[in-house]
Amino acid sequence: MKIYISGGCKNGKSTAAEDLAIRLSGDHKRYYVATMIPYDDEDHKRVEKHVNNRAGKGFETIECGRGIEKIMGEDSEKATYLIDSVTALLLNEMFADDYNGEADPEAAGRCKTGLKAIGDQAENVVYVSDYIYSDAVRYDEFTENYRQMLAEVDCFMAAECDVVLEYVSGIAVFHKGKGLL
Amino acid sequence: MDLIIGGAYQGKRAYTEEQYKLSEEEVFTCTEKTEPDFSYKALDHLELFVLKCVREGRDAAAFFQKNETLWQDKVLIGEELFSGVVPMEKENRMWREACGALYVYLAKEASTVTRIFLGIPERLKG
Repeated sequence: MKIYISGGCKNGKSTAAEDLAIRLSGDHKRYYVATMIPYDDEDHKRVEKHVNNRAGKGFETIECGRGIEKIMGEDSEKATYLIDSVTALLLNEMFADDYNGEADPEAAGRCKTGLKAIGDQAENVVYVSDYIYSDAVRYDEFTENYRQMLAEVDCFMAAECDVVLEYVSGIAVFHKGKGLL
Repeated sequence: MDLIIGGAYQGKRAYTEEQYKLSEEEVFTCTEKTEPDFSYKALDHLELFVLKCVREGRDAAAFFQKNETLWQDKVLIGEELFSGVVPMEKENRMWREACGALYVYLAKEASTVTRIFLGIPERLKG
């Protein structure tokens, strides 16, 4: 089962994704794949909050900010992966060393290939992304490029997945695969 | 008229071209600099026409109301841009408001309203 989760920030996506991953994995291995590379104090605090929230839920954490396909191992076929988040993964792929450099135009392609490969091989995958597409502000080129690339990955993965969910105030809205869960 | 809405880059245009069997050239692309050409079967980026109206002090919804015959049999595509913080710039605030007013009017008039989310269509009306 492949599930793609999107929606606005702070709407309960990560918690819901954890619950779904636990349900799907049963007695088999479940991995939490953290894609954010913490840079400052605020990031470290967010990571700590997420780690505490996950405590006792039986996840093994893998930290992987780039080249997501390398998380796969011998037990992938039976494992359940929770990938949180596509948003952070893309950002890391776009800017290999620092945010001042040029964005890598191949970043979206690499994310698509890697995320699909995990979905093809693993028993279950829950992907978490962010819906950042509805704002009346004209962004700078940097941000607009990022939004466009994330949408490219989102639309591609939504087509690949069995279930597509949007979380609104913690409530699941089904865009695809209602009845499969 | 059929109204297609959705956030930026969600696949609204691709959906329209596929659904109505239109080539890229058969869909007019509105910009903040040009008047829309209603000889086309479908018009994309209504929100940019709205931005043009805001800049010229025109009322986009009133324009559509006055020129009903132009778009009765068209497919109209507009970007949803309503879920951010209230914009700092006045022009963006007016833009957002004018888009909202236009879409509410068009949705009322439309035979069908479809919203695209991550490339997946959802029929909201009709």
